[in-house]
Amino acid sequence: MTSPCPNLGRTSLVVLLLAGLLALIFQGPRHGLPVVPRNSADQNILRVAWTQRTPPDPQMRGMTLAQHNLLILSLWEPLVECNPQTGEPEPAAALRWSWSEDRLILTIDLRRDARWSNGNPVTAADFARGWIRLLKGKKEGAEILAPLKNALAYQRGDLSDANSLGVQAVDAHTLRLTLEKPRSTFVMELADPLLSPVDVSSDAVLTNKSYLTIPASLVTNGPFRLVRASADGYTLARNEFYHGRTEVVLDGIQFVGATSLSVAQLMLAAGVVDLVTPTSWGKNRTSPTDRPFSIATEFQPTVHSVNFNVSRAPLADGRVRQALALALDRANPIKHYDAEDMRAAWSWVPEMPGRPGLTLLHEDAELGRRLLAEAGYPGGKGFPILRMAMPLERLPNPFIAVWTERWYQELGVRTYVAYEERKKRAERIKAGDYDILYNQLTATVPDAGDLLGIFSSHSNMNKTDWTDPVVENLLAEANSQTGQEHLALLEQVERRVMTELPSIPLMFDLRRTSLADEVHGWSPDPMMRQNLKRLHLVPGI
Amino acid sequence: MNGPHQKKITGFWCEWSFWSLIWWTGTVALCALLLWDCLPWLRGDPRTAFRYTKLNEWPLEVIWWLLIPITLWLQQRLTMSDRRWAWTLALHGAIAVVVASLFVVLGAVRVVFANHLPASFLPVVIDDLCGMNGWNYTPALVYLLLTFGFYGVAFYRESRDGQKLAGELRVANARLETRLVRASLDALKMQLHPHFLFNTLNSITGLIRGQRTAEAENMIAGLGELLRRSLEHRQEAMEPLEHEISFLRRYFEIESIRFQDRLMVEFDLAPDCMNALVPSLILQPLAENAMKHGISKDPAARLLRISAQRDGAKLILAVYNDGPPLPKDDAILHHGIGVQNTIARLEMLYSGGDARLWLRDHPPCGVRAEIILPFTTHDP
Repeated sequence: MTSPCPNLGRTSLVVLLLAGLLALIFQGPRHGLPVVPRNSADQNILRVAWTQRTPPDPQMRGMTLAQHNLLILSLWEPLVECNPQTGEPEPAAALRWSWSEDRLILTIDLRRDARWSNGNPVTAADFARGWIRLLKGKKEGAEILAPLKNALAYQRGDLSDANSLGVQAVDAHTLRLTLEKPRSTFVMELADPLLSPVDVSSDAVLTNKSYLTIPASLVTNGPFRLVRASADGYTLARNEFYHGRTEVVLDGIQFVGATSLSVAQLMLAAGVVDLVTPTSWGKNRTSPTDRPFSIATEFQPTVHSVNFNVSRAPLADGRVRQALALALDRANPIKHYDAEDMRAAWSWVPEMPGRPGLTLLHEDAELGRRLLAEAGYPGGKGFPILRMAMPLERLPNPFIAVWTERWYQELGVRTYVAYEERKKRAERIKAGDYDILYNQLTATVPDAGDLLGIFSSHSNMNKTDWTDPVVENLLAEANSQTGQEHLALLEQVERRVMTELPSIPLMFDLRRTSLADEVHGWSPDPMMRQNLKRLHLVPGI
Repeated sequence: MNGPHQKKITGFWCEWSFWSLIWWTGTVALCALLLWDCLPWLRGDPRTAFRYTKLNEWPLEVIWWLLIPITLWLQQRLTMSDRRWAWTLALHGAIAVVVASLFVVLGAVRVVFANHLPASFLPVVIDDLCGMNGWNYTPALVYLLLTFGFYGVAFYRESRDGQKLAGELRVANARLETRLVRASLDALKMQLHPHFLFNTLNSITGLIRGQRTAEAENMIAGLGELLRRSLEHRQEAMEPLEHEISFLRRYFEIESIRFQDRLMVEFDLAPDCMNALVPSLILQPLAENAMKHGISKDPAARLLRISAQRDGAKLILAVYNDGPPLPKDDAILHHGIGVQNTIARLEMLYSGGDARLWLRDHPPCGVRAEIILPFTTHDP
């Protein structure tokens, strides 16, 4: 049979062949795929998915904190580390510490056996160097040193003499820290990877990125050292000079480049990596391979909230703020949109190590309507349209859409949600030209005071214009106390704030980590500072 | 015919070569840029990885640079002008799906390669990408838009070329028509000559047989004169009535020799009609018919009258003979060569029924042939 239109016939054939080929790819198997076997040389190497492009610089804050922390805390060791269960600081590079009577001077004794990866001893000057580097470079996260005497002035450039800073190396193994005012959580804050020491050579090595070609040039004091670095990830080997080397079971760690967290989970299924944090893998999703893995879930000290500009009517009226809080429905949108990564917030502070979360808020739309009517806005009549300033990177935010709609349905209150660029939004906030701000706040220490501190008039994160002398006094007192007294004072602060409601807490974050079954020793840490030196692999699983 | 076609093909190829050159230049530049960007990665430079090359980072839409010529080629190959347009449309739909799928697969291939995943994960990654971003129909829509855009351009071009060709054809047709009319006129004229020649030559033969050589010589001389004048005016479709009458006078001189004293010719011509333009030799066939079917058929008949009158914008020419009436079967009207030729010439030379021929009995005796024409002259 001959086609009267040979062009059409031949082209049809080619198109059909192509379509067939693509159909074969599309219809390929999705389950029971083979797992890539582990190299014999990598039997005791932990492979971590790495979706970042941050350098191994301890004085740089990574966007995805969990991964960045894993890398930095594998290479470096700060003075202390916080116990994930109790939140209490424990010695790391420091051996012990002591406060002066007025709790303004902290003296830290360093380990005598602490060594850099090149064998040189780690000294107090190395810590001072790292911290000055953090302040000098005006790097993101430098505000962690704000409690130190003259730190902010030095960072702003008002002071140029580093000797006037509240960090002094008394001798090779003694570090003296002077604070502006007492701060109960300061020792905990020293566990932050940002406060790692740096060797005298490190600044140049990190600036020039010479570690990419000569990995050994990056001198570190952590349990692992850098043996290979590329844009596709890092390879670490055990640091034989590390003081606790005998407790490190892993031979090394590979941070394997991944384009996204979703793909990283596929890499875990394929046998290319062993650990993915955080993971976006849904509970109901089926793995394409039979490689067994588990998902560990833990709280993150992050609170999502809407902050009110209480200097404006009608939000200056506490009854209006209460009404808005009562009219919300947190549980259903969370269940609908992100049940695995969010949890409803019934108070300002989430569950912390050694301190369970409180339930101080509830939802009651009827009560909210009554309070709004008492405030002079029955059914929302006469209530102005509220302007909510949202960061553009959060577009679209389904939660805000649901909640503002609920305010309208339950209270008759209308909201204009304005998504704006960071700079424009910052200017608007500075000028106080807003009614409501969407905010996300993460604690840097496992202490409720860190999150409650934003309600202090001294906090540069207080965006509500709400001040309360009672809260000021309680916070100041809590800073001078420790233990249960400290926690009790913070609870008073939290109850007071949740009564006045200058901000409504909405959700807390959860973090999930996918772990291949070979990986053992993982424990939850709300501060996302798991130290991989504690992990080990059980081969053959 | 070769000239214009050759010119058109040359122009087409010039245009084609120009775009082809641009495309190849762009393609080479694109490949060179991608290769230059990939070189550090290919050399094993630790500062980069496939993930950070433009090959992976650039949007897949760059592929359109390669797909556009293929789309154009397909559009030209799959013409919709034949009866298979439904199949062609279906095929374009299938290609659109293939193109959309290609984008998904290429995106997945990049992910697989950049993340060191085994190739068997390609369908899983496709699912993952489609799950995150949804199925991307944009490439299919772009393909269809491009294709129909190309069809639109091609249709416009064909239409424009067709209009140009139609114009040329109209001019050629008009010229051809003119030629045909002239040829027809010439052919009609040529039919007159033999008709008249036979009659005249028969008469000359009769004269010679009757030893009337002088008359025969006069007749031959007259015939020669008639033929000469006829040939002189052969290319002219119209001539003044005066010339036509002059021609007829010469003609009757010959016929009077044939009919001897029996023929009496009268001319009733209005002076203002002598300059009127008439088709050349328009009266001669009617005069010949009057002789043949009128004077010749009745021994008592002898009068033949030629008249010309102006009636406003009309010119009325008439040939009358006092011979027998027209036959009942209208054979002359339908089958007489002279009458048919005259009618045909009038239809060709005058459109819209401006000119007519009447042939009817003229009581109490005789037949009158009448031609009504628009009155025109050479004068402005």
